[in-house]
Formats: sequence, C-alpha cells, structure tokens
Amino acid sequence: MTLSRHDLFDDVAVRLDSVSLRYDTSEDILSGIDLVLKPGSFSFLTGASGAGKTSLLKLLYLALKPTRGEVSLFGRPTSRLTRDQLSALRRRVGVVFQEFRLLDHLTAYENVALPLRVLGRKEASYRHDVEELLAWVGLGERMHARPPTLSGGEQQRVAIARAVVTQPDILIADEPTGNVDPEMGSRLMRLFLELNKRRGTTVIIATHDLGLVRQVEAPVFRLQHGLLVQDVEYGPAARRRTDIVKAAE
Amino acid sequence: MARETPLLPVEDAREMALFFVVGALCFLAALATLSAKSTYGAARSWTAEVEGELTVSLPDADRRGAEEARQIIEATEGVREARLLSKAEIDALLEPNFGSRGLPDSLPLPQLVAVRADPEVDFMGPTLERRLTEAGFANAVDEHADWAGDVRRMLAIARLVALTAVALLASTAVAVIAFATHAALLARRDIVDVLHLAGARDRYIAGLFERRFWLLGLRAGAVGALLALGAAAAMIFAAHSSGARSGLLPVLSLDLLDVMILVATPLIAGLAARLAARVTVIRSLKSVM
Repeated sequence: MTLSRHDLFDDVAVRLDSVSLRYDTSEDILSGIDLVLKPGSFSFLTGASGAGKTSLLKLLYLALKPTRGEVSLFGRPTSRLTRDQLSALRRRVGVVFQEFRLLDHLTAYENVALPLRVLGRKEASYRHDVEELLAWVGLGERMHARPPTLSGGEQQRVAIARAVVTQPDILIADEPTGNVDPEMGSRLMRLFLELNKRRGTTVIIATHDLGLVRQVEAPVFRLQHGLLVQDVEYGPAARRRTDIVKAAE
Repeated sequence: MARETPLLPVEDAREMALFFVVGALCFLAALATLSAKSTYGAARSWTAEVEGELTVSLPDADRRGAEEARQIIEATEGVREARLLSKAEIDALLEPNFGSRGLPDSLPLPQLVAVRADPEVDFMGPTLERRLTEAGFANAVDEHADWAGDVRRMLAIARLVALTAVALLASTAVAVIAFATHAALLARRDIVDVLHLAGARDRYIAGLFERRFWLLGLRAGAVGALLALGAAAAMIFAAHSSGARSGLLPVLSLDLLDVMILVATPLIAGLAARLAARVTVIRSLKSVM
C-alpha cells in the first residue's frame, strides 16, 4: 500500500474507535475513546495533569498501540499497516514533545533539519527553509548553538520548528507554549493557525493554558478519568466552555 | 554549512572499551588461525617426510652382507632408494643414549639400511621382511609411518583445538559486539526514539549503528591483525635465532595464506560487528510500535 499526500483528502484525518490504553497491569489510562478529526481541523485537548493527554497524543503520533480499539490516520487503520507504512505515516505527522526531545550533540539548525535528513533530502535543498524558520521563531542568531546552551523557551521553539519544518499534514503539540513568554506564545499560535489555514494542516494542541485556548475559536476536547468529553462548539461558545472547564478544575 | 554532524554522537569511552576488547579478540583469533594453519602445515610436511621411510636392521650381517641385503631391498618394487648407514651415522644416532665418545668397536651393532619407498605402495615392511628372510638375512623392519600416524593424530587434535579456539573467539567477539550494540542502543534511546517518531524506517536507524560498528570492527580488527603479525614475526625471529632445532614443532611462517588471514581478520570483524548491530537494532525496534 502506498501512502500519498492525496490521502489528506480522505474524509477523516484522525479517527479513534473505542480506544483504550493501559500500561502493564494498571487501570485503563484511556477508556473507550471515540474521536474524529476532519482534515484541516484545529483542536485543543485539555485535562488535568495525569488525565492521559500525553498518552492520547502518543496514540495519535503512533508511539503507542492501543490496548483495545483502533487508531486510523488518513483513513488507514494503523493496526493493519506494516512497519514501513507506519514510518511513512509518521512522516506526515509533526510532533512537539512536552520534553522537547532535542538531540544535544546537534545544533539548533541540525535539530530542525533532522526530519528532512530522515526524508533523505540534501542539505543544500533545505538550508534556506530551515534558516528562515529558525529566524521566524526568533533563533536566527542561535541556530548554531547546541540545546544545552539554549534556554527552555529557546529549546521549545527549536522543537516547534522541527515539528513544522516538513509541513506535516497533522501537527500534534504537547504543551507547546509552556516555556515561552506570552508574546512568543501568541506568535507560535499564529504559526500553528497559519499552517492550519494555509496548508490545511490538522492541528491538535494539548495544553493547560486556557488563555491560549481562548485565543482561538476551536473545539476543545477534555480528558477526565480516562474519558474524552467532546466539545465541537466554536467562538464564544468555546470560550464559555473553557470557563466551565476551568471552574471544574 | 560544514559537513553534517553524524546522527549518532562520536564514540565515547564505552566504545573505546569495546574497541579494546574486539581488538584483543581479533589478535587472539588471528594468532590462533595462524597457529592452526602452521600446525596443519607442519603436520603435512612432517608426515609427508616420514611416509614411505623405513629402517631395516640386520643384526647378524657384516658390512658385505649388509650391502648384499641393500641391493635386494633396492631391487624390490616400490623402493626408491636404499642406503647403508655408515658407522659414523650409527654412532650419531646412538649419541643421545651413549654419549659423544662413541661405542667400543667390540660392541656388536646391527647394520642399518635407510629405505625410502613410494608411500602409495602398501605392505612395504612385510614385503621387505619376507624377501630378506628368503635370502637368509635375519632382519627387523621399522616402518616410520607406524609412529608417524600417532604424531599425525596428535597434530590433528592440536589443529582441531586451534580451530575450536578460533571459532570460540569469533563467536565471543560477535556476542560482545551484540551486547555493546544493545547497550549503545539503550544509551541512545533518545536518538532512536526521535528518529523513529520522525518517520525513519527501521533499516535507516539500524544503518546508523551498522556503519558505526562496521568501522569499529574494521579498525579494531586491523589493530588486532597487526599485533598478531608482530607476534608471529617475533616468533619466527625467535625460532630462527634458536637455530631452528625444533624440527617436530610447527613453525610460524608468513606466506600468502598468512597474509590473507591477516587481511581477512579486520574484514570479518567489521562484518560480524555490522551484522550483530543490525540484528540487535532491528530486534530492539520491533519491540516498539
């Protein structure tokens, strides 16, 4: 089976059918999750610490297999794919990890270029794009610095640049603005929105930051006790809903 | 932009330790192979030398009678040469037992005929015994091949031991490399995870480790082979310096086959390291989604 960008135009970008997840012998972290995300949608995922947000994201970026149920990306049930096909799917998903996961022996520039190297691209073909992207996230002067010499916020921006450098079809971000100031947070949100609007990238952002959620008219999904509460209202309704979530937390 | 930084960090202290271990194993394996090969060569040349050699003892014959017996022997089909040993040669043979002053002339000694026969001819000893007896000579025929067989069997065992040592050393090297690869993989799990989640195929990730361990095996193997060459050269030098009186012992040489063994050592080490790395990484990656 060959996966191509045309699959983006499948009806569904992400689909979870009765997905449950359990680590070892513990209780289910996630239980019977159903979720459908259309291509080009923009969504938030909220929930208290330990609610399973990161676990749910891991299922979405194909780092984990569900204990039960099925995860489908672009209409492909992932349980039926070969390892090479899963790798091909992962290349269409950009991930901003909560803990950044930058490689300390590579420079900021090389970290951002990493997914392009994996794709087999020659450095000359992407140098300009990577430099431009780093300049855009405010790291034009620090592109040759290695992660241990960067601040938390700078590392986060490198991680975000790395996630978007391939212009993925799905962008998954786990607390992407946790370590940056509000101004940079807003700027990064604009980047996510731009990717979403211009390229039709499906964006899923897990965050505690309800202020961030209020900035964008987008559905909010809330995880509570392993269950996903779906909220597909937009605009003022979404703002009202996040207020309710905040009050509940 | 300068050359791309390798995705795996440059080698660390752990790899230096592995380099030392693989180098040492390659040194021992190369030396054991050279020893096995020289043992095999020595066994072949020595047994080829004594195959077909016989000594005929004529206890009652005088010099003239012995010459007559020699002619009978030489006329026997399959005999290439029969030579009557001189008194000096017999004294030299007995010197280890009776000293260098020789034996008194009054002491009766058998006349000895050294015979070289075609090794392919069977029953040469009994044939000579029968012919000499028929001609009226009391005789005893000693076929060197009888006790050469024991030596040959002993050398075959020595060769087998050497080959077993080579096989053990090679498999130990592979096991050590597999273990080290696994450790390296665990130590660099962060890199593997990031590459995996960026969509790198298993063989791409395995390729990074393969290249790293191929070069390590190649370099460690080369150092081991060079040390083995040095050790072999030292042994050859020592053997030559001692006057090469160790006729029965295998003597190391450095011919084309030895050079091939030394050249093959780093290549085999590199390939074994590469294979071990590949299998370890692929197996490890298959344990994750």
